[in-house]
Amino acid sequence: MQSGATRRPLVASKMNRRHKPDYILVLLTVILLAIGLVTVYAISPGLSAQKGVGENYYVIKQLIAVALGVGAFVITSNIPVSTWRKIEKPLIYTAIGSSVIVRLFGEQVNGAYRWIQVGGLSFQVAELIKFVLIIWLAGFLTTRFKNNQLEDTNVTLKPIMIALALIAFFVAFLQSDLGSTGVMVMIMASMVFVIGMPVKKLLMIAGLIGIGTILLISTSSYRRDRLTTFLNPTRDCQNTGYQACQALIAVGSGGLTGLGLGQGVQAYGYLPEAANDSIFAIYAEKFGFIGICVLLGLLLALFARIKNIINRTADTYSRLLLVGILAWLSTQSFINIGAMIGLLPLKGITLPFISYGGTSLVFITGAIGLVFQISRYTSYSPVTEELINGSKNEEDTTSRRRFRRAYNSSTSGR
Amino acid sequence: MNRQIEVAKNHLKPSTRIGIMYAIIVLVVIIFGIRLFYLQVIKYDYYKKTALTGQLREYQIPAKRGIIEAFDNNGVVPIVLNEKKYTLFADPKFITEPEVVAAKVQGIIGGDNSKIVEKLKADTRYSILAKKLSTEQKNSLDKLDLKGVGTREESVRTYPQGDLAAQLLGFVDDEGNGKYGLEQYLNGKLSGEPGQLKAITDVKGVPLVANKDNVISQPKDGDRVLLTIDLSMQKQLEDILKKGLDRASSKSGSALIIDPNTGAIKAMANYPSYNPAEFYKVEDGNLFNNAAVSSPLEVGSIMKPLTAAAAINQGVVTPNTTYYDPSFYKIGDATVSNIEEDGGAGTRSVKDILELSLNTGATWLLMQMGGGSINQKGREVWHDYMVNHYRFGRQTGVEQGYEAAGSIPDPNEGFGLDIVYANTAFGQGMTATPLQMGAALSAVINGGNYYQPHLVDKVTSNDGKSSTTESKVLKSGVVSPGVSNQMIDLMEGVVNKNYYIYGMSQLRPEYSIGGKTGTAEIAKPGGGYYEDRYNGTFMGFIGGDKPQYVIVTRANDPGIGGYAGSRAAAPIFSDTVEMLINNFNVIPRSR
Repeated sequence: MQSGATRRPLVASKMNRRHKPDYILVLLTVILLAIGLVTVYAISPGLSAQKGVGENYYVIKQLIAVALGVGAFVITSNIPVSTWRKIEKPLIYTAIGSSVIVRLFGEQVNGAYRWIQVGGLSFQVAELIKFVLIIWLAGFLTTRFKNNQLEDTNVTLKPIMIALALIAFFVAFLQSDLGSTGVMVMIMASMVFVIGMPVKKLLMIAGLIGIGTILLISTSSYRRDRLTTFLNPTRDCQNTGYQACQALIAVGSGGLTGLGLGQGVQAYGYLPEAANDSIFAIYAEKFGFIGICVLLGLLLALFARIKNIINRTADTYSRLLLVGILAWLSTQSFINIGAMIGLLPLKGITLPFISYGGTSLVFITGAIGLVFQISRYTSYSPVTEELINGSKNEEDTTSRRRFRRAYNSSTSGR
Repeated sequence: MNRQIEVAKNHLKPSTRIGIMYAIIVLVVIIFGIRLFYLQVIKYDYYKKTALTGQLREYQIPAKRGIIEAFDNNGVVPIVLNEKKYTLFADPKFITEPEVVAAKVQGIIGGDNSKIVEKLKADTRYSILAKKLSTEQKNSLDKLDLKGVGTREESVRTYPQGDLAAQLLGFVDDEGNGKYGLEQYLNGKLSGEPGQLKAITDVKGVPLVANKDNVISQPKDGDRVLLTIDLSMQKQLEDILKKGLDRASSKSGSALIIDPNTGAIKAMANYPSYNPAEFYKVEDGNLFNNAAVSSPLEVGSIMKPLTAAAAINQGVVTPNTTYYDPSFYKIGDATVSNIEEDGGAGTRSVKDILELSLNTGATWLLMQMGGGSINQKGREVWHDYMVNHYRFGRQTGVEQGYEAAGSIPDPNEGFGLDIVYANTAFGQGMTATPLQMGAALSAVINGGNYYQPHLVDKVTSNDGKSSTTESKVLKSGVVSPGVSNQMIDLMEGVVNKNYYIYGMSQLRPEYSIGGKTGTAEIAKPGGGYYEDRYNGTFMGFIGGDKPQYVIVTRANDPGIGGYAGSRAAAPIFSDTVEMLINNFNVIPRSR
């Protein structure tokens, strides 16, 4: 290990060099946020009329959320990645603490505790948990990876199972939030998978999760409803299947070109949660298949951008953070959209960037800020296996060393 | 080297794993894209239809009902207008203190406090507290700002002339349908066509204004109708009728004035009547009927001029033809006889038949139609006159709801046809409405043209196009012009002889005034006739060189003594003649 460090001091200093960040990432984020704002703006009068609040209530709240999101972005994009690892513990405590507080003092909606009211703002604990989960797991897996303990049951698998159990208890059970639970499980699965966990072990864990999910669904009547609704959405359009049916109607009636920005109807009380969970369907109604292709294209471009940064990031911790964020954004988008187009059961989670809702927006822009920060330290060409694996030999994985050539890696091997 | 074995064992390098992860993401996006293509492009029609099923609602935009106008002297004035009124309703679910609310409401709408409280407590979501409130009342109610209480605007008919001509006009019910009279007959024209608003609405049904799928067709307002009625004449006729019926202790009756040269009805009155603005207060539905067109009765001796005209027109008699009248005829088991005052058997003329009102004379006329006896030929000829010349037994087509046709017995079907037909010759055993009688007499004295009686002078549609009713001859040659003149003379003779009995203070030789009384036996519902109950009828005309107005009056079952025709119905005719001479420019004879 020492030989690697001493043999390449010059390289090491070059590796720390900071360069231009990925502005395209920011551009894509801004476009997506703008689409969200425009959509919320367009349905704001209808929603306000239903709720009996001022006409621009939703737009103003969403603008505040975007402003807070910009703030979050500025903060995370300026914090060195290593800092996150240092404040990992307080973050975990905050997340667990919030989970307890939300149960004790939170607002109960439909039997679930998801929100904490702070002043005039409501805070969704699950969003914090997702963020902290990524920070924790990235550090945890980096350490295990470096110590070659990935397959160690006690040291690696047990804490992961405990984390899963905690998520199941706090998020799935107490907060009754299967959507967020799904996102968290996918974040963990992706990170564990990418770091190199044998597929056999992953399947084993997946089996356990599967059993847990079945148990959870069978113990809650409204989840059963949602599942049966999902399996046969048009069976009961008046009651349990109402939202699913209305979402399909909104999407389908958008047609190829959409009804137009000011023309949608489903937001006028027909489709529940038009601004939050159902905004994709509203967007689809207004902008049609062409608009949907643009939106999916933008999301895919953003995911591709993050993947691109992952491929050019050698630092294991940073890579894991990015994988977690990519899994977060993609899974959450898919669970949301899948429900709107009748491919997944309704989950009640937001569509990143687009949905009305402050907490989700702040944490997601914060996550983009993190990606933006990491993008300052990429190499020009994709890093190779050996380099990444070689980083196991580095003492400090947060020093953002940049490996540019494969041969460096081979020489640094044991 | 341990690690390389490890990597080999997993068969998946870290970069490959990211590739797999990204590939899954791309795959999901592609699946979503395909699914969205399916939903939005392939299944578009289905979802568009489903969306519209839920979102599209239809509303009616009510059309303004056409107003009704009538002549007044030489001008035109409205007789039926529309007015905004308000229905006060409550949703008892939102009423927490019914007594307090009732007290406040009662202060404005009046009425019984406890009844309002009852309605406020009713187990419904829509309880009507009051109808037809004025704008002032509505504004006062709005100021109270009561929760769970609201007003709904509606257009109601208003009658600037009060209850004038009520039965002729009819009314408009709460659903906006014309009932009885003109309102019923002309409902289609008056009501217009409501507009349609097919609108995309929000989930509560509130139309979203800016939507390209909204369809609006503007309502087509109802036509404006101008009546042939002269309001002043109508008013006076109603007064005369009321006074005449009171005088004769009759509870009900009708009177009408028709222009014999056009068929235009100038006035048509019935008593008792009702206030159309408060039609909902009427308990006896018969009050809604315009008896002059919808209540056919046996007409009595006013039929005799028509019988005479038929016989003269056939050429079987002339006005001066004389015959021996035996004072009674036995026909089968029945006997046709005359009243005592007629003085028994003797030689009589056709003129006498009318002046003395001889039933035997009318029977004799029928015999002449058959060549000397009552037979099939006579029955058939007389039937042809009644049905085809005088158009009895069928509706005149006047613009009135529930017009009755009356009935004429068949000349060849049934029992005792000879006595039945003898009876029809003097107005028994058949029924006709006063209007049918007036129209038939008009034809007899105007030279022989049967004009369709009508009440509508002009209809003006919303776009300003108007159509004036042309006088329509339904039958020409009812009698020949010569016979027509002879009938005028004969009927003048009747009045000249009896004017004093008819309640006229003097003869007016400068005018041509003719007529005939009728005292009709009243048929019992179960068959046969009442012994001592009669309806008085009168049918006559006034004019100068030619008849200008035909008048028909009817006083049902008068309590006054004497013959109902001359004591009850004739004075109404006389007063009407006086009224027309005084106020309506009857042109006197030129020679």
